[in-house]
Amino acid sequence: MNDHPANPALPRRAAGASPAAAAADAVLATAQALREQIGGEFHDRLAETIYGEAGRLADRAVTRPGAARRFDLDRAVDRIVTSRTWGFPLMIAIFALVFWVTIVGANVPSAMIASLLIDTLHPMLHRGADAVGLPWWLSGFLLDGVYLATAWVISVMLPPMAIFFPFFTLLEDLGYLPRMAFNLDNLFQKSGAHGKQALTMMMGYGCNAAGVVATRIIDSPRERLIAIITNNFSLCNGRWPTQILIASLFVGGVASPAVASVVSAGAVVGVALLGVLFTFGVSWALSRTVLKGEVSTFSLELPPYRPPRILQTLYTSLIDRTLYVLWRAVVWAAPAGAVIWLVANVHVGGLSIAERAIGALDPLGWVIGLNGVILVAYIIAIPANEIVIPTVLMLTALSVRSVAGMGAGPGVMFEADGAQVLAMLRAGGWTLLTGINLMLFSLLHNPCSTTIHTIYRETGSARWTAVATFLPLSLAFVVCAATAAAWRWLGLG
Amino acid sequence: MTAALSPTPPAEACASCAIYHAANLRKLGVDVEGADFVVALAGNPNVGKSTVFNALTGLRQHTGNWPGKTVTRAEGGFAYGDRRYKIVDLPGTYSLLATSVDEQVARDFILFGRPDVTVVVVDASTLERNLNLVLQVFEITDRVVVCLNLMDEARRRGIEVDVRRLARDLGVPVVPTAARYGRGIQDLLAAVHEVATGATVCRPRRIEREPPELKAAIAAVTEQVRALHPDLPNARWVALRLLDGDERIAEALRRGDLADLARPTAAAAATHEIPLREEPNRP
Amino acid sequence: MIQSVLSRLTGRPSSARVEREDALRHLQLMLAGGHDPTVQSVAGALGVAPDRAAAVLADLERRECVVFQAGRVTLTPTGQAYATHIIRAHRLWEQHLAQSSGVPPEQWHAHADRAEHRLSPDDVAALTERLGNPTHDPHGDPIPPPHGAVVPHHGMPLDELPVDQTARVTHVEDEPAMVFAELVMLGLYPGAIVRVVERGPHALGLWVDGEHVTLTPLMVHNVSVAPLAAPPAPAPVRLSALPIGRSATVAGLSPACRGTERRRLLDLGFVPGTVITAEMVSPSGDPTAYAVRGALIALRRTQARHVLIQPAPPEAEATS
Repeated sequence: MNDHPANPALPRRAAGASPAAAAADAVLATAQALREQIGGEFHDRLAETIYGEAGRLADRAVTRPGAARRFDLDRAVDRIVTSRTWGFPLMIAIFALVFWVTIVGANVPSAMIASLLIDTLHPMLHRGADAVGLPWWLSGFLLDGVYLATAWVISVMLPPMAIFFPFFTLLEDLGYLPRMAFNLDNLFQKSGAHGKQALTMMMGYGCNAAGVVATRIIDSPRERLIAIITNNFSLCNGRWPTQILIASLFVGGVASPAVASVVSAGAVVGVALLGVLFTFGVSWALSRTVLKGEVSTFSLELPPYRPPRILQTLYTSLIDRTLYVLWRAVVWAAPAGAVIWLVANVHVGGLSIAERAIGALDPLGWVIGLNGVILVAYIIAIPANEIVIPTVLMLTALSVRSVAGMGAGPGVMFEADGAQVLAMLRAGGWTLLTGINLMLFSLLHNPCSTTIHTIYRETGSARWTAVATFLPLSLAFVVCAATAAAWRWLGLG
Repeated sequence: MTAALSPTPPAEACASCAIYHAANLRKLGVDVEGADFVVALAGNPNVGKSTVFNALTGLRQHTGNWPGKTVTRAEGGFAYGDRRYKIVDLPGTYSLLATSVDEQVARDFILFGRPDVTVVVVDASTLERNLNLVLQVFEITDRVVVCLNLMDEARRRGIEVDVRRLARDLGVPVVPTAARYGRGIQDLLAAVHEVATGATVCRPRRIEREPPELKAAIAAVTEQVRALHPDLPNARWVALRLLDGDERIAEALRRGDLADLARPTAAAAATHEIPLREEPNRP
Repeated sequence: MIQSVLSRLTGRPSSARVEREDALRHLQLMLAGGHDPTVQSVAGALGVAPDRAAAVLADLERRECVVFQAGRVTLTPTGQAYATHIIRAHRLWEQHLAQSSGVPPEQWHAHADRAEHRLSPDDVAALTERLGNPTHDPHGDPIPPPHGAVVPHHGMPLDELPVDQTARVTHVEDEPAMVFAELVMLGLYPGAIVRVVERGPHALGLWVDGEHVTLTPLMVHNVSVAPLAAPPAPAPVRLSALPIGRSATVAGLSPACRGTERRRLLDLGFVPGTVITAEMVSPSGDPTAYAVRGALIALRRTQARHVLIQPAPPEAEATS
């Protein structure tokens, strides 16, 4: 579209076509003459007039008997949350607290849901299936594939989301997010990005697709593209459970039990902060290469703090966010469960498809400090990141079955208890490096299909969509491979 | 406001009938199926517009405490008395003069969609900033209800608003609300209903304190525009746009075709992508 | 502008259309300035040999854009409309770059030289609307209306401004880019208020918006001004200089702040007479939050520099 030939097919009009047109021309001539007389300041002076009028009307109607008492409280809070000393530590502390509460609080309900859906209901369903005489492959496909994957998604994801989202919504309602944008703005400015990218980044912590849509608040197309491409580095709700689970199993597992939950929360915060660093780094790189240009203007309104309404918040975050995301996960988990069961049970030349794929991808997995199971899981989970962990667990169960005598059949996953999961993953060859790299990979890899589709809709460009997809993916491979190489070079594992 | 924006207007009966009006709205992408009246919801960013919208419609559009949160237009409906209303939540804007896409969407909807009632949601605790938008909406339409929201917050900050005096000064109904707690929503519905059905006639305040040379210029151009198109409802607004050098309005006047402005111009402007970059790597 | 036409076109892929359009632009600007364009001047403007320039002019005549009358070259109405479009596109693009792109000022001209051949009349119309129908480009050259005439900027050279006379800058020449960049850095832009403090043989001492700067003769040569009858009351200061916790009254917005940015600031309430208070600075150092009409607005330093204030007496401390 850059090649409009501006040839002489130019604005031309029939002069004096009709008396009406002549009259219109006279009006326009008057307007133009007056406009030149006033100068280019018509707009500004009109705005000033309107403001003066608005001010007068407000003065007549408004009285302030209470003389701004509360206003000062707002300011006092602002002085602390934006202070040089406390601003950044407080930001990190608030998020660390939220993660810690999520990790600690999600354990028990997760185990309860798992024991209900998997330990109790699943065998019952099997007995029922046997009783009505379903063939083994049908009950396997439906119960061990579709049902188990869905049950896993629910038990792994529902509790952390039900805790995390209300907290996040509270922060949003309170008015804290614009303060974070205020604190971080200079860093965004230095990375060549727009200050409001801080807000879209925050939205990304809920859902990247929502974050991408939210970039509409950024006027400049250049900075908006940067915000869209880097939104992926905000861990979305589909990836929080992965981070939290792996952090509690591997990182928390290294620490002594007393501080395990704090260490796990710290690891999750660390990964989230790393995401922020990547946001700055990639924004900086983009704004100096393909998206050159200087920072456009910026003004941010810091709204007054509003006391959140707890019940309303619980309701909206449960309905709008938790259940919506869970529903999406379940919708994708059911067919993915079916696929997993099929690839685990369809044999080609003595080996199942899953085993072949895992074997084929294992060398690549080794190079980037992961393994074939994880890569296959990511391929199956392209539609939705939410199902990565369940897929990994089911595939691992399949691959370690013969080794450790665990699991209940190909592609069937029973373990719900953290210790058992850890034991099984270890049996599948997982180390601390695998855990850390999985967290890194989950942070950096390509956005989910919904987000990719949203990016396409928002940019209308297949090229930028491709950049937004493959740039993070290649970054994920590079970073994981570098970590793995460094780890091995240091002789850590 | 029921008169047409056209130099050769349809018969008065036609212009005031619901079908004519509905056609305009349909051009702007509003589904008016089954609605007796259309209500536009305007306001500054972060004044609780989405909350008012939710309170009116019973929908649960997500709300958040930061400006610019609502980036897409939302529509909903409600019934009051025996009438059905369609309500359109416009993007939050500080003014209708500036040139961002958001402001064009809001402005064009009020101007060309000609909603039966425009509700301007204002923040009671920062009234002077918000009245700016109210006064600009008055330039375009008479049928306005001011929703004085966040009364709870204003009170918390020790700010009292004399609602009756404000209503008298503005010349339109002013309804205090605290939409977060559902307070005042019934009064707001009643006010909207009265303006929509014509039970209340608005006489909005016009700005009269322009600097003399501005005032003279506006008067001169308004006079000429009115002479050219006597039936134009907001000749003054057209004059303001001409003095601001709005080529689109000038072109329409030149073509003698001001009615043709009633197309979704914001959408057109938004889809007409200007190649903003030198290098061919623009989206 | 004429001078800029002469030195443009280096290192750009030459195509017949680009040459035609550049020639038309040159002809229009020469005629508007009251000069007679010649084959030589066209050759100079295009940076080509006279033969080539003559060929371009012949091509333009064939397209009914120019006519030769008594050895003089003039533009036909078609040629004029075409040339006006090119000039309009160029100046609007510069205005666009100044308003919303963040491209550094010394590069505006080069960018616009390429953009003017790329923009269709529809693009230009959409651009005008988006920019809020500007009347001048960022150097102070008037943007011709779509069907109007191209007029040169008016103003007297800064060289001729008497000592102690206050004046408004009307035009800052954008070529050579190096000199222009220095002028921009010193805060000289169309609309700035200046006063000559002292005039030496090799330097000119100048007050610019409350700051003292020194210009070299080359820089002085590139600035035009219009004398002001009465100097504005106490010199305003930039908002960026307001210490935290202090209040001040807004005196106005700097003319360097244009378009969307200017409108946005007005919308937010930065209008003359408003009392504002600097409330707090971001821990990362840059945006500062100001209390304006009961709201808290964060502005980056680059923007706060565009708001001019009268420092208020201490009792005006009440904010909202």
